Amino acid sequence: MAKVTVDGIEVEVANGSTVLQAAEAAGVEIPRFCYHERLSVAGNCRMCLVEIEKMPPRPQASCALPVADGMVVHTDTEMVRKARRGVMEFLLINHPLDCPICDQGGECDLQDEAVSYGRDHSRYDEGKRAVAQPDWGPLVKTTMTRCIHCTRCVRFTSEVAGVPELGATSRGETTEIGTYVQKALSSELSGNIIDLCPVGALTSKPYAFTARPWELRKTDSVDVLDAVGANIRVDARGAEVLRILPRMNDDVNEEWLGDKSRFAVDGLKRRRLDRPWLRENGKLRAASWEEAFAAIAGRVKAVAPDRLGAIAGDQCDVESLLALKGFFTALGSENLDCRQDGAVFDASRRSFYLFNTTIAGIEDADALLIIGSNPRHEAPVLNARIRKRWLAGGFTAGVIGAEHDLTYPAAQVGFGPDAIAALLDGKHPFAETLSAAKTPMIILGAGVLARPDGAAIHAAAWQLALKYNMLNAEWHGFNLLHHAAARAGALDVGFLPGANGKTTAQMLNDGVDVLWLQGADELDVAAIGAKTFVIYQGHHGDAGAARADVILPGAAYTEKDGTYVNTEGRVQSGFMAVKAPGDAREDWRIIRALSAYLGHALPYDTLQELRAHLAANYPVFAADFHRFAGTDTVAPAGDAAAISSAAFVPVFENYYQTDAVSRASPTMAACVAAHAPAVAEAAE
Amino acid sequence: MNRLGRMAWGLVLWEILSGMALTLKTFFGPKATINYPYEKNPTSARFKGEHALRRYPNGEERCIACKLCEAVCPAQAITIEAEPRDDGSRRTTRYDIDMTKCIYCGLCEEACPVDAIVEGPNFEFATETREELLYDKAKLLDNGDRWEPELAKRLELDAPYR
Amino acid sequence: MSGFFQTDLGIVILTLAESLALIVPLLIGVAYLTLFERKVMGAMQLRKGPNIVGPFGLWQPFADALKMLFKETIIPTGSDRLLFMIAPMITFGLAVVAWAVIPVNNHWAIADINVGILYLFAISSLGVYGIIIAGWASNSKYAFLGALRSAAQMVSYEVSMGFIIVTVLVCVGSLNLNDIVMAQRHVWFAIPLFPLFIIFFISGLAETNRAPFDLAEGESEIVAGFFVEYSAMSFALFFLGEYANMILISAMTTTLFLGGWLPLFHCAPFTWLPGPFWFLGKVLFCLFVFVWVRATLPRLRYDQLMALGWKVFLPITLVYLVAVAGVLEYLGWLPNA
Repeated sequence: MAKVTVDGIEVEVANGSTVLQAAEAAGVEIPRFCYHERLSVAGNCRMCLVEIEKMPPRPQASCALPVADGMVVHTDTEMVRKARRGVMEFLLINHPLDCPICDQGGECDLQDEAVSYGRDHSRYDEGKRAVAQPDWGPLVKTTMTRCIHCTRCVRFTSEVAGVPELGATSRGETTEIGTYVQKALSSELSGNIIDLCPVGALTSKPYAFTARPWELRKTDSVDVLDAVGANIRVDARGAEVLRILPRMNDDVNEEWLGDKSRFAVDGLKRRRLDRPWLRENGKLRAASWEEAFAAIAGRVKAVAPDRLGAIAGDQCDVESLLALKGFFTALGSENLDCRQDGAVFDASRRSFYLFNTTIAGIEDADALLIIGSNPRHEAPVLNARIRKRWLAGGFTAGVIGAEHDLTYPAAQVGFGPDAIAALLDGKHPFAETLSAAKTPMIILGAGVLARPDGAAIHAAAWQLALKYNMLNAEWHGFNLLHHAAARAGALDVGFLPGANGKTTAQMLNDGVDVLWLQGADELDVAAIGAKTFVIYQGHHGDAGAARADVILPGAAYTEKDGTYVNTEGRVQSGFMAVKAPGDAREDWRIIRALSAYLGHALPYDTLQELRAHLAANYPVFAADFHRFAGTDTVAPAGDAAAISSAAFVPVFENYYQTDAVSRASPTMAACVAAHAPAVAEAAE
Repeated sequence: MNRLGRMAWGLVLWEILSGMALTLKTFFGPKATINYPYEKNPTSARFKGEHALRRYPNGEERCIACKLCEAVCPAQAITIEAEPRDDGSRRTTRYDIDMTKCIYCGLCEEACPVDAIVEGPNFEFATETREELLYDKAKLLDNGDRWEPELAKRLELDAPYR
Repeated sequence: MSGFFQTDLGIVILTLAESLALIVPLLIGVAYLTLFERKVMGAMQLRKGPNIVGPFGLWQPFADALKMLFKETIIPTGSDRLLFMIAPMITFGLAVVAWAVIPVNNHWAIADINVGILYLFAISSLGVYGIIIAGWASNSKYAFLGALRSAAQMVSYEVSMGFIIVTVLVCVGSLNLNDIVMAQRHVWFAIPLFPLFIIFFISGLAETNRAPFDLAEGESEIVAGFFVEYSAMSFALFFLGEYANMILISAMTTTLFLGGWLPLFHCAPFTWLPGPFWFLGKVLFCLFVFVWVRATLPRLRYDQLMALGWKVFLPITLVYLVAVAGVLEYLGWLPNA
């Protein structure tokens, strides 16, 4: 530890920290453009100059200067101010005075600092630099004339995103940030460079010119487009969600957000179900809530309880799942399933279906085996965490499944379940890596469980964890990586078939007479029996709604107060940012109203009562989050003999369109067209 | 003065008489009335009248949808929506001023970085219906085209003080 | 011919003609008083006043009258229709009837009766009924409040007015208005009884509900007071009544204190002008002061109004009456003693 005095405040910081970090510890703010906590130090903006006693009498760049014991730092002397003013003047030489047309206006670091250190007018009479605008794809809008060459975007793409596509060419005034050859950024995290850019050089293309930051209503929420549960901030104006930004949470998403989660917002305005619909003579017609309820009641009452079934989709909040489960239990049906992909596996213990190591725990691992998953597509933020661990060194990764560019090197251990068997036998070379590792971990993709032999592979992976000492009092290295935001929460409230209940596969093909689809669009709707009466409750007119006989318009995740459990088992709540469109209502309210209509009124009237009910019956929702210890080594059920030798296939064909919201989003469609032309053509 | 003295002084009605003397003086003074529709008071170059959106001499509208006027408007009378125009430039798709809300403070004019929104010399824009006072972009641009010579002159006169 | 006017029919016709000769100029006078007021007020506020309708705005009163005629008479649903319609008629009728005894020249009065001053006093006291009835019949809180205020105010100030008139009577020894004027041949009562003259005039302002005592109307508090529900001609009648009362009070002031039709000095060239001219001139002066006061003074608070009436004017007039009577008795100047 080193003792440093910053502006008279004495702080103790770790050896090797920089002066800027010491100042932050002392609560002194130092202006900076190029420095960023989560990126390497570049030291090229020179805005963070400070004065240090007993050093050569010139300003020092605090972001790149390591502390020494007994250092005395001054951040607010005349020399420092003069130096920063000088730096600001140089930065503004080539920065255009186009704040009024710049989308960064109002949330711009340069604008803010210019208030403190800028002159009221320019002394520069020469011609200003102007740069052609490169096209970086459908997400990031570039205005490189405004660039101040902080290189945050370059460092982000090469360090965090692991897709080194950006770089600086030329020198001095002619420096340009670019992709060398014009191309769209291929990273799933490319949107984060918009947040990182301290000026308006990189802005959001879909959001271009639509709003100013001071017009927006900011609401904290949780992302549901993947199972990581990234913390987000929903910015809305009026009844419209305009953009989504990440919120800092070091345990989950740090401050990153995947492109799908960030840019699929325009999907929330399109293909929305804003009123109930009823199928009459084979055609859907607009109906009132009363009519829709009457149609459901008529059908439900005419059917035996064991011929009723419900399947939950991937974006449901826990509240609506609990309400639906309560409703079906009251009706006497046990046919519930939250696994619309048809997966059947042992979910009797929580550690069987969670990411037990936790996302932050990845940084403690020293070996990783990924089975049947592509975390880069299924959970890009989590993948960035793995890459971060790899960058720190002393980390080996291996993959069983299809080959992917994971942004970090990973040994191709195998392509199918036989590689698991080989590892269990200890015959595979990667077995040595796992044996040597102190804290190895396995990531089992949830897509694997949807295979007919899913349960068996689930059990085999657990055996693997047992064999390589991944389960002990200090460490739990068995992880299931979900890709559906609702899955962990649904399993937590037991949205699963009862003792005599039917699974998803059994409910399809006329297994039930009345099928309730709670936002379930990713199942094979063609497999639903022709005579089955389908009730679809959800927010988008997607596959499920197209097959439905009654459509109940629900609220999307930005339109309701909802609780979600991420793949780690972390319980998080989001708040309502805007109201649901038209007649659409919060999902649990619809179910509550219908339950009263059918004479089985659920025992809660308000969200508070519902949540109290939830916490009382499912203690997980009341408890604080903590990492599991791997002491409970009881293995999940699974018949090893059932394992087939078929290779694992990726869950997602393309990253950008995986759910109803992103399928409705024109921005995501543009991304598909830019990155996966084959898929885009197939879609047309 | 004691209470009795004040009472006695009050009986003289001095305050009332001096007040009446003043009104009598103005009674004989010159009158300020003007014969309005035919005579008008001179207005300052800074007079804040009806709003107008100006154009550049080449016909391009000045407004760049920076929304500073919307932000500064204390009466929240301005509503702006914007999106990239086909040529990629930043333009409004909607620029509404609710003239019934407007308090004619001129802050929009001061906030505008491109002298697009201005308050012109016209104060004779009374309408028969309330709806006619909800100005849209077309109406404001039309005002700009109509008053441009005067608007330019006013800005020029005011420029030394800006 | 003179014989005809001695017959009963002749007297009736003569009286009618005389009444007409008085009422028509009076109504025209009232109409032009409104214009006069607006012009004077305008001038005092650095404005020109009405100047569009006709030369110098002279047709303005007729324009206003036409407007009033063509407006709709609105009778509120909850009102007492009969009383509602009668109230303005009472007000206006009383304002006109009082004029019967005012002499505009020596023995030029429709009814040169011996109890003229008593008659005037009685009639002007009745005026409060019109107001009370209007306020009650409107069935509106503002009208009712206005009527209550107005009634209390008129009653209060009538007391001190009564004592002032008694003082004058003590000096004259007659109730006949003609005698009262003639008693001022040598000196107008305004001079020896100056404080009473002022108090009488101020009470007159209060009696006619004029500024600064217009609490019965009080736009800022009770909208328009007792006639808030009235419109068109019924409103116009109240309006005419108020202005006729103004003229009446001015005429009373003239008669009681300013020597009626008597010229300023009893010598040429003042005596060249006939009596009615002098009378009219003095009334006009009083009216000007009415308007002048309105243009100058703000409205009193209600408690101030009542305090002024009961705690200032009443004691002063009472003491003054006793003092005048005492002085006259002491000097042996009491008339008809």
